[in-house]
Amino acid sequence: MTAVLEIRDLCISLPRGGGKTISILDHFNLTLAPGEMMALVGESGSGKTIAALAVMRLLPPGAVVTGEILLDGEDVVKASEARMRQLRGKSVGMVFQNPLSALNPTRTVAAQIGEAWRVHKGGTAAQARARALELLGEVGIPDPAARLDDYPHQFSGGMRQRVMIACALACSPKLLIADEPSTGLDPLIAKQIMTLIETLRRDRDMGVLFVTHDLSVVEEHAESVHVLYAGRSVEWGKAREFFAQPRHPYSEALLGAVARLGQARLQNIPGYLPEPEARAAGCRFAPRCGYAKADCAQGYPLAVTTGGTAACCLYPLSAGRAAYAEPLDKPVQKFMPQLEVEDLTVSYNGVGGWLGGSKKLPPSLAEVSFTLGRGECLGIVGESGSGKSTLGRAVLQMVGYEGAVRLNGVALNSLRGAEHRAARRKIQVVFQDPRESMNPRLSIGDVIAEPLCLKGGMTAAARQAKVAELLASVGLNAEIASRMPGAVSGGQAQRIAIARALAAEPEIIVLDEPTSALDVSTQAMLLNLMKDLAFKHALSYILISHDFAVVSYMADRIAVLNAGKVVEMNDTAHLISSPRHAYTRALIAAAPQLRTSHR
Amino acid sequence: MSNTIAASPSKLLGRALSHGTLSTGLILGGLILFVGFVAPFIYHVDPFAIHPDHALEAPSLAFPFGTDELGRDNLALVLSGGLATLIVAIPAAILSFVIGVAYGLISGLGPGWLDKLLMRVLDVFLALPSLIVLLFFASLVPQTNFNLVLLLGFIAWPSLARLVRNEVLAQRGRDFVLAAEQSGAGRIYIARVHLLRIIAPILVVNGTFMVGDSILAISALSFLGLGVQPPQESWGSLLEEALDIVALNPWWLILPPGLLVFGSLLAASLTGQGLLRLWGDKR
Repeated sequence: MTAVLEIRDLCISLPRGGGKTISILDHFNLTLAPGEMMALVGESGSGKTIAALAVMRLLPPGAVVTGEILLDGEDVVKASEARMRQLRGKSVGMVFQNPLSALNPTRTVAAQIGEAWRVHKGGTAAQARARALELLGEVGIPDPAARLDDYPHQFSGGMRQRVMIACALACSPKLLIADEPSTGLDPLIAKQIMTLIETLRRDRDMGVLFVTHDLSVVEEHAESVHVLYAGRSVEWGKAREFFAQPRHPYSEALLGAVARLGQARLQNIPGYLPEPEARAAGCRFAPRCGYAKADCAQGYPLAVTTGGTAACCLYPLSAGRAAYAEPLDKPVQKFMPQLEVEDLTVSYNGVGGWLGGSKKLPPSLAEVSFTLGRGECLGIVGESGSGKSTLGRAVLQMVGYEGAVRLNGVALNSLRGAEHRAARRKIQVVFQDPRESMNPRLSIGDVIAEPLCLKGGMTAAARQAKVAELLASVGLNAEIASRMPGAVSGGQAQRIAIARALAAEPEIIVLDEPTSALDVSTQAMLLNLMKDLAFKHALSYILISHDFAVVSYMADRIAVLNAGKVVEMNDTAHLISSPRHAYTRALIAAAPQLRTSHR
Repeated sequence: MSNTIAASPSKLLGRALSHGTLSTGLILGGLILFVGFVAPFIYHVDPFAIHPDHALEAPSLAFPFGTDELGRDNLALVLSGGLATLIVAIPAAILSFVIGVAYGLISGLGPGWLDKLLMRVLDVFLALPSLIVLLFFASLVPQTNFNLVLLLGFIAWPSLARLVRNEVLAQRGRDFVLAAEQSGAGRIYIARVHLLRIIAPILVVNGTFMVGDSILAISALSFLGLGVQPPQESWGSLLEEALDIVALNPWWLILPPGLLVFGSLLAASLTGQGLLRLWGDKR
């Protein structure tokens, strides 16, 4: 049996200004058998996407590639550009993370799927259309004949991803490369997409290499796994063995950082992923590794293959890994009410005529009521479109609403002017996208000082000192204040957003998907930080998320939102152990969870 | 073995061109400003002195740009005409710019009813052909420099106002603006600290275009006799006078003012495009 894909000693460098190149991926080896489903795992910056793109030879201009990439025995590195065009699509199909930008918005899906087929196989337009119909059926588009002439925007996110998969499968490739195929989709939909890919490769005996940072997806769907860290392979092998006993300390740390349903404390991986220029000489994980010894810095360790998976570590872990999954033990606490929300209803107006006049749309939030206790964390869970972000914005007074939001007994929409502004300051917000939450033209120091400036009554020196203090409290160095937002990582940016919120001395912080744009290890650090800060500053949180695991880790109580209504609300432990509403049960079932701990 | 995938040549060319565009625009713009503001004080020749025995002579050592039909030194005329053109065109562009930015900010940040009202007023301005409006008002008031600046300034702002208003609407819902509002920021603070900084590149680029447009507008008015008034000449009026005697082929009278108006437009356009691409690259 020959491998569908065999990568031998692949090294990739990319140009970085001034004629210099930096090495992105080093000495990468991988073998994928027909019908095998392999996950390429790593955090952003690990080189996993570059490795996948190299197979299609879709690297940025100026990339220097050495080594061999054998696609069914043929070396892609040496192939001509004309030959590559044949191979792309015909031998290798590719699915991207964002299907909307990968599909042409001006052409129907039948035309796009048909084109992918005709380019390689020839045939008439009618044959191509028939093929498109067949493929749409195969990827599970309901009533495919009726949807052939629809445009990409007429499909939902999950359906678009299915169309993208149909395009990739048009010529029955032997290898499918999927770059984060389920990232950014709701958990229920993400699970369906991964299941579809799994079914398709079984039916077609097609090798699948999917790139992801989400270990729970890997455990559920992959047969084998390959973990990258800072451009080097650290561990690879059968997924079952990997999850039963990871042998590389980085793998273990990564598994410990994943939020799961019912977990007491997430593990932090200390430090940050090194920049490509600043990678350690020996084992690249050694500077952050709890098990590292002096000789770890002496050259990159060779793979140890004794038992289970192969790991590039001088001191691979054996049985008895840290029991990072502790049973859920969240005491039910009584809190003094701080924020009362009563019959909150938000309706957005539709687009009106040229002089006023607009039609009413159904409310995005309908008669939602709850109280938030002092020091409590209330989780709001729901799919996109369930109204959970609208709820957050209404509490923040960013949108108009009917009903009442009372902070310490005072209805916020009854206040005017300075009183209203002062009350609003008590409720702060941390947004999902760390890049969007800072003005790119202000320095970090200015961003954090903004609430202080707006409040007034502080000298510049006093503000500077306060900024340094806030930075320290979120675990950042004071020197970062002079940097611009473009020069910080996503995790740092989110800490800065928290520091800015704290600068306003809030009582409540609305966290709108605060970690969903971050890598697993960064997410773990941030969640732990927010827990500590809540305690230290006597904060209450409203945590909005589609990730049940994250919410259950943080929240004392959870409200489940569906179509603008609260369908269920209960203490975290009760809600998870005995969900009453069918929708809650579906969400919990779809929640990414590493089952290893329950075995 | 190694394989270098070279950068596509069109991309490299595009980058080089963008910076080439910018530098060409800036050099050309600097040249125009030099001609208008510095050269008249170096070339000390009275533009209104008449040399009857040298009327309508082609360029020579004595008269580098030749003479007109009255026997006036054409180079001196072009230089003083440049100063007369620019001291109207540049303040007018600045006035237009300020009105456009202010109108756009008020419309974009104000309450919904005000935005609707201001935008409908804007539609009226945009619907009227600006040259006709300009001619109408120019015929009502005496053409002093001050009046011309006001006139041109009040004509050219609407398209910038719409652009600013649309940008403000697009930017004011961004997370960092919402976060500032949550901490008690008012509209003026939002405009000053956040919006103006974010849209600064767009403003600079469009401001540059406006200077070019303004030079063209005052030249057109002067050409039609409603701009800078005699005895003062401007590029537009010099062109008009040369065209009166075009049958005699006085190319030395037509080319300098014509090329200077053309060059101003080109300089503004190249500088604007260059800046646009330079900032586009960074984003």
